[in-house]
Amino acid sequence: MSELFKSIRRTPYQSLASLLILFFTLFLSLFFFNLTAFFYGILSYIEAKPQVTVYFQTQTSEKDIFKIRDTVVKSGKTASVKYISKEEALKIYQELNKNNPLLLEMVSADILPASLEISTKKPEHLSEIAEYLKKTAGVDEVEFQKTIVERKTSMFIFVFLVLISFMVLMTTTAFKIALKKDEIELLRLLGASILDIRKPFLSEGVFFGFCGGTFAWSIFFIIFFYLQPFLNSYLYGIPRLPFYQFSHYNLYVWPPSLYYLALVYFLTIFFGMLIGFLGNYLSTSKYIK
Amino acid sequence: MIKFDNVTKKFPLGNLALDNISFEIDDNEFLFLVGPSGAGKTTVIKLIIREMLPSAGSIFVDSEDITDKNFRQIEILRRSMGVVFQDFKILPEKNVFENIALALTVTKISNRQIKQEVEQVLSLVGLADKKLMFPLQLSAGELQRVVIARAISGKRNIILADEPTGNLDPKTTWEIMKIFKKLEGKKTILIATHNVDVVNSFKKRVISLKNGRIAKDQRKGGYEI
Repeated sequence: MSELFKSIRRTPYQSLASLLILFFTLFLSLFFFNLTAFFYGILSYIEAKPQVTVYFQTQTSEKDIFKIRDTVVKSGKTASVKYISKEEALKIYQELNKNNPLLLEMVSADILPASLEISTKKPEHLSEIAEYLKKTAGVDEVEFQKTIVERKTSMFIFVFLVLISFMVLMTTTAFKIALKKDEIELLRLLGASILDIRKPFLSEGVFFGFCGGTFAWSIFFIIFFYLQPFLNSYLYGIPRLPFYQFSHYNLYVWPPSLYYLALVYFLTIFFGMLIGFLGNYLSTSKYIK
Repeated sequence: MIKFDNVTKKFPLGNLALDNISFEIDDNEFLFLVGPSGAGKTTVIKLIIREMLPSAGSIFVDSEDITDKNFRQIEILRRSMGVVFQDFKILPEKNVFENIALALTVTKISNRQIKQEVEQVLSLVGLADKKLMFPLQLSAGELQRVVIARAISGKRNIILADEPTGNLDPKTTWEIMKIFKKLEGKKTILIATHNVDVVNSFKKRVISLKNGRIAKDQRKGGYEI
């Protein structure tokens, strides 16, 4: 350990560069990890709600609406279809605006549209049903959750960014180790084993991974908690969002629970130490032959 | 014992560094390897430490052929040898003590033993008061002594010195040679040099190389240009 600190003290700029690279990699990964977990939570929340809501023109009769409902049900692509009459729509409106009497005074059931809330069996059926309904006579507006279809895309972006970060880290670590080429060569000539040569580089990589992970986690959540009041107002009405299916372990992305923060910390430092270790292992391999 | 048996070394571009040479060095023998630049002196040293392989022939160290050894065996072989490299190979970011200790850390001895051993060799080469200095703060002669101290530290019974007095003034040259003299009879010492005065004053065995061949091999020999 003392050798490690001595090496850091004597090559402060190289060490700082390595630490910053790991910090940015982990900070970026942390950002996308949380974003993905958050989106997953939001999507699960949205999925639990009707996926397609179709509002009818006020003059469309119940008979026509039921005919459209039956056609949609017969397609076999729906999981559930719920009819909301004009009267029920008024009740919902009144509930949502109970604190604003001015808005309540001006609204009656006649001017509110009846609607159908439809959930599909598969996400890919969403756009098909939405497109059909848009073309149907008597329909005023169709709303559907397009973002569900885009989940795979966001996961792909996350994986892609992590890979890019890893490659940047590998390249810079290789550059740093190239500066140690003479030391590696000398150690080989003195009879050092491959493990002896690698040990200081690996322990340095693990140490920087730990420090980079800790800094990235700390700074990320300092920024997060600083922005929380703003996010609170933006996400008003959204309840607790579980971390994937792990709500029974008290793991919540929003608002983040203590267990979630601890899990993310351990994942960050583990990932940091792993890429620090692997990066230095692969980079030293070039000079140890 | 070191034995070269019909050793030839040809480099990939075709230049012949050693041409079918054979010789033997006994345990604790002190000898000079002389010859003009390009005669093959450095190649002989590099072959003994297995930094390179011969194109033909065999090299034996303690009766074992080192040309067919694996990495693990080469590591052990190198730990038994101390090398004074022509280009020093001193690490600028480590101080004198650490540069010497580096050679001992690979032998898996305790930190206390390393400290004792480093201080002992530093006294032997006259650098006990400079152990915390960095290479940039040392003169060429002092750097050379650090390299010698590193080479003789630990239980290394073969010392290979490649031009240990190159670029040094006569006074420093003699100081350096006195260090080797102190080790005479305790370790096998092979000094590659083209310093005529040094070789002639020691009256030890001299192997002369010329164009990759052994021109002369004389017990109590000298060096003529």
